[in-house]
Amino acid sequence: MFQITFKFENGDDVIVHALQGENLLEVARKANVAIDAPCSGNASCGKCRVKLLSGELDSQQTRHITDEEYASGYRLACVSKIVGDVSVEVPDIASAYKSRMKVADLSSPEEIAIFEKTKSQIVDSGIQMVNDLSVVEVQMDEPTLDDTMPDNERLTRALQEAGGVEKVTLPYFVIKKLPDVLRDSHFHVKCVVKKNKHGFYVYDIKDAAEDVKVYGLAVDIGTTTVSAVLLNMESGEIIAKASAGNGQIRFGADVINRIIESCKPGGREKMQKAIIEETLNPLTLSMCQSAKIGSDQIYRMCVAANSTMNHLFAGVNADPLRCEPYIPAFFEMNGFKGADLGLEINPNARIIIAPNIGSYVGGDITAGTLASMIWDKPEFSVFIDLGTNGEIVFGNSDFMMSCACSAGPAFEGGDISCGMRATDGAIEACTIDAETMEPSYSVIGDEGEKPVGLCGSGIIDVISELFRCGIINAKGLFVREGKRVRHDEFGMGSYVLAFKEDAGSVKDVEITEVDIDNFVRAKGAIFSGINVMLESLGFDVSVLEHVYVAGGIGSGINMKNAISIGMLPDIPLEKYEYIGNSSLSGAYTILLSKEAEEKVHDLGRNMTYMELSTHPGYMDAFVAACFIPHTDASLFPSLAQR
Amino acid sequence: MPFKLTPQPFKAAIKEVEVGCGAKAIKLGGEKTFPFYSFDAEMPNAPKVGVEISDLGFENEVAGIKDFYGDVTNVVEMAKKAAAMEGADFVVLRLESADPNGVNKSVDECAELAKAVADAIDAPLAIMGCKNDEKDGELLVKVSEVLEGKNAMILSAKEANYKTIGASAGMAYGQKVGAESAVDINLAKQLNVLLTQLGVKGETVVMNLGTAAAGYGYEYVASTLDRTKAAALGQNDDMLQMPIITPISTETYGVKEAIASEDDMPEWGSQETRAIDMEVVTAAACLASGSNAVILRHPASVATVSTMIKELM
Repeated sequence: MFQITFKFENGDDVIVHALQGENLLEVARKANVAIDAPCSGNASCGKCRVKLLSGELDSQQTRHITDEEYASGYRLACVSKIVGDVSVEVPDIASAYKSRMKVADLSSPEEIAIFEKTKSQIVDSGIQMVNDLSVVEVQMDEPTLDDTMPDNERLTRALQEAGGVEKVTLPYFVIKKLPDVLRDSHFHVKCVVKKNKHGFYVYDIKDAAEDVKVYGLAVDIGTTTVSAVLLNMESGEIIAKASAGNGQIRFGADVINRIIESCKPGGREKMQKAIIEETLNPLTLSMCQSAKIGSDQIYRMCVAANSTMNHLFAGVNADPLRCEPYIPAFFEMNGFKGADLGLEINPNARIIIAPNIGSYVGGDITAGTLASMIWDKPEFSVFIDLGTNGEIVFGNSDFMMSCACSAGPAFEGGDISCGMRATDGAIEACTIDAETMEPSYSVIGDEGEKPVGLCGSGIIDVISELFRCGIINAKGLFVREGKRVRHDEFGMGSYVLAFKEDAGSVKDVEITEVDIDNFVRAKGAIFSGINVMLESLGFDVSVLEHVYVAGGIGSGINMKNAISIGMLPDIPLEKYEYIGNSSLSGAYTILLSKEAEEKVHDLGRNMTYMELSTHPGYMDAFVAACFIPHTDASLFPSLAQR
Repeated sequence: MPFKLTPQPFKAAIKEVEVGCGAKAIKLGGEKTFPFYSFDAEMPNAPKVGVEISDLGFENEVAGIKDFYGDVTNVVEMAKKAAAMEGADFVVLRLESADPNGVNKSVDECAELAKAVADAIDAPLAIMGCKNDEKDGELLVKVSEVLEGKNAMILSAKEANYKTIGASAGMAYGQKVGAESAVDINLAKQLNVLLTQLGVKGETVVMNLGTAAAGYGYEYVASTLDRTKAAALGQNDDMLQMPIITPISTETYGVKEAIASEDDMPEWGSQETRAIDMEVVTAAACLASGSNAVILRHPASVATVSTMIKELM
């Protein structure tokens, strides 16, 4: 057994033990040390480099490491074997990564307002906010020597009478605690039940003296970020909200690498464990803690996730999704219970999975479409979810069409050197003085919060301002010089938003040409996706009456700047609306309303899926859009007027 | 009913770009039609053929090229012969020896040679760099400077070095700028936009959209050339109306059909014939798709392609 020390740039370290010959990347993964390895350890991407501080590694030099770098201790983790005690420095794929893993706290009033608005819009469309869960209180006669009916029959009869139902189902979880609860409560109990046409299904039984409430858990499992809300199933009140990075991130940044990883021996279990045990369960427990409830009081859960995440969450082979002809194991799947997947919720809780509609358009989009309300309007709207996969739904109350384009994690701050989620310390808005090139920005958090990184909305602003001030050209390369513009030894330019003295981080907060390039590709994917889909139907952007933008890009998104960098079509600003995390608000309404659940399945079945990758014009449209704002300036008439 | 020809010229035109000085100066572009659609409108300037010579000499070339240059011992003499080649409209000097991974000659030495060649011939001159973006960024700037007044074509400015090359060749020293991109209509347009934003006039830019040797994914080249001309003429897209120059020989002399010896591939026949065929078919295809000039190496190819152009005009 050797001692392996991982040191982070900010000074933290993680110490673990490993055996002779173990692979360093595997050791890091086991220790939850995030080393970026997009190629999932094939030595092909060169991203998993670490620096030897002391000790030795059995590691060959690859083409990704120059002689000088090798001499100064750089190694690729994926080709390094443990041969003794060793200490390595792990690059900060950013403190951003760790902040992604942090469980956030209760939601702000603005966020709650988004859920309230979604709920009231759904109600306005005629869908009732009623579900089949309720609490039934019953008082039974205590058994005597003359009344020897067994406990289960006694409860069944009491419930039949109280609910006017014929059949009552008592699962094992209830039977197991039944004798104790009945006697402790003197046969005065409250039952959490689901009422359907067959009768009652009893989830739980408690002493009537207790304040029994029914809770539900709505979860959005994103490729990069997982968000959840805990809610009261009767009132719809949100009692906790949290988000965290998806624990699978260390196995690859995108769905393809996750699938590849899941196909390795034991991989499916590993991926399921990463999302359930390492991400969802801690998230749930911390929410329950903050709301002071027991996690077994969560009687229903709704998951909105893309198709791959759904498969990996359920532990189902996702490989066919990746290979032609791209067939998922399921579109709709509602047979899971909490105990099936080892979730920290009531073991009998039903898990609703928002339906997938294609291998790359999943339940996050059907849930988001439900929340966007575009299905309830006669006029044309487009709904855009800015995630790792950018999904676009276009249509109205008569028809809907969807497509997905691979945007990468840039909108959520991934693939950006100082990128981060829209949480405390993120620069969410920025302006730059054209003359002095000095920035002024606003940072999420309390007054005086120091900047740590950039969230999606901040990146949009910075790129738009850099371009407006002529500091970068239309390709995103730096063309002006100044104290805030730097070039590294390879000539790569960057712009410093906050020098480390002023930043809340150990390093400068900056944006590099590579960051800009990554973001420009992401925005190009979205813009070209919208245009190609509309064109294929014989429309152009002028038909759009509403554009709903969703995703973790940050509520501060400046639509005007998003247009001026060519991310969104050049149509009047008042047509745009940011609707937050729509897959989470969709999941929230699905949980609360039986009719909404039926509606989302209905939407899923009626939505047409268009495969962009096989569309002949898409690649051209994409390259044309990878320019600020666009190679075809005539698509942005309002910018020419400025 | 008798056939009545209805000419359909476009309203838009390809920009006319002049290279070289004096009687032998050439004009590229200027047409309002697709290539050789003379039934729609006259092509004011026939496509041109350039002869490529390297500052590394001709030792490694096929026999026909060696025979042509014969006992010539220096690059200046070689350029004179190239200028006199039958069918040649201009000379292209490729400064291969500047390559830092090769001979790594200094920028000044190469520039001096370029100047000597320019002074020795009266045919228009184009200068190609060594394909190392960084070195070309310095080299072509210096070459532009020493060739001031010669109205030479500088090949090429790319996205990585367009700023220095565009500013010197296109603005400071009055040369013509070749804008090189990798067989993609959007990338070509983007580079033209960048050059224009820098201050280079569209009328001084010639596009090198790149090519592939015939049989090596050429379909994509054809489609790119076609769509570029269609956008320039049909949509009046002035960021794509620059004439197109296509270096052919630098591509074709890298594929196995042209370099495999007869010893290795006896069933393929004469290596020299194959090399010429590759040049001719690729050049013919590019011209038919929209190139306003092609660059070739072998005297037989130059003669054949220039004859083809004459016949089609």
